[in-house]
Amino acid sequence: MNVTQGKIHINAALILAGAMLLGAFNPPAFAQNPKLDIKNLEPLAKKASEVVDVNLDGTLLKLASKFMTDEDDKEGLEIIKNLKGIYVKNFEFDKPGEYSQADVEAIHEQLQRPLWSRIVSAQSKKEGETTEVYLMTPSDGGTILGMAIIDAEPRELTIVNIVGPIDIEKLSSLEGKMGIPRLGKLEPAKKPEGQHETQK
Amino acid sequence: MRHRSKLLARAILLSVILQFLPVTALAGDQEFKLLVDRVSAYYQKRPLPFMGLLSFIGNCFTPHGVSHLQMAIFEDVSSDQRPPEEEFQSSLEGLVGPGYLPFVRVYNSHSGERTFIYAREYGKKNYDMLIVSMERTEAVIMQMRLDPAALRDWVDEPVSRGRDSAHGGGAGVPR
Repeated sequence: MNVTQGKIHINAALILAGAMLLGAFNPPAFAQNPKLDIKNLEPLAKKASEVVDVNLDGTLLKLASKFMTDEDDKEGLEIIKNLKGIYVKNFEFDKPGEYSQADVEAIHEQLQRPLWSRIVSAQSKKEGETTEVYLMTPSDGGTILGMAIIDAEPRELTIVNIVGPIDIEKLSSLEGKMGIPRLGKLEPAKKPEGQHETQK
Repeated sequence: MRHRSKLLARAILLSVILQFLPVTALAGDQEFKLLVDRVSAYYQKRPLPFMGLLSFIGNCFTPHGVSHLQMAIFEDVSSDQRPPEEEFQSSLEGLVGPGYLPFVRVYNSHSGERTFIYAREYGKKNYDMLIVSMERTEAVIMQMRLDPAALRDWVDEPVSRGRDSAHGGGAGVPR
């Protein structure tokens, strides 16, 4: 091997390493899917006394939009006409403390930075309720791709996954509807975070 | 001769009435029967008799916006004959007929009850809802028509409505 060939090999190795690093920092297109895999919550389902799954995908959302004809529905209609789906998983437990943060890890693991960022984290000490809101934005920082809400109460856990572009300003019009919990006046998280730190 | 003409008159009247019934309604009935037959095959048991009469009575007590209630109740079924959830759900989705979309699913670990709720558009203004609920020793199949306001109640509160239908009756229909 002469010196020129050696240089070429080193350059090729550097390019390859660079490409691998870029690949690691820029998630592939398939990873930009805002639909969470909520099927892997079966261990949690075994602990729950009752599990409710709501599936409002594109076609059902279209049906829903047909009867949103009131003046009050305008903003909600604006949101849902662009959505691909709203998926809700609700767990009800017999007693408080029958599930832990570790049980919700399967969801938190999917809400990783840089695509997902936590915009709201609120805790009600009185009612023991914790609400977290996550947003998924594409790597180029364009329109919001989806949203996840984790609402944890002592005897109830609700996970909401909204797939599609959402105008956060108008989200309040859907609160309390379609399985989306009432978020009320939640304080934004001090610093957007992708990974949830264990609390509770 | 007189008896024959009476029969003929009834047959003509019936055919005239059937002409005015929407074809899809008849197709919906057929789908419901098919679904009941399949569940019967699973359990090796027929539903309780007089379901037509019960459905008729049930229709008198349906809440506002709910109509065309049809139901079939299977009692004293063996849970051993109940198919595994995944298998049942996929075969159910093949059976429920075109247009029906999975909407809500409820699973209760205490009673072992599994409830599958499907919805579809019927015509331009109404919606059909199908509720299949299976407990350890009982199964209920219900199909009903909802007006937009009744479906809206479902879409607004799918979790509590799904839970109510699993505990009591579908779309507020007493069970």
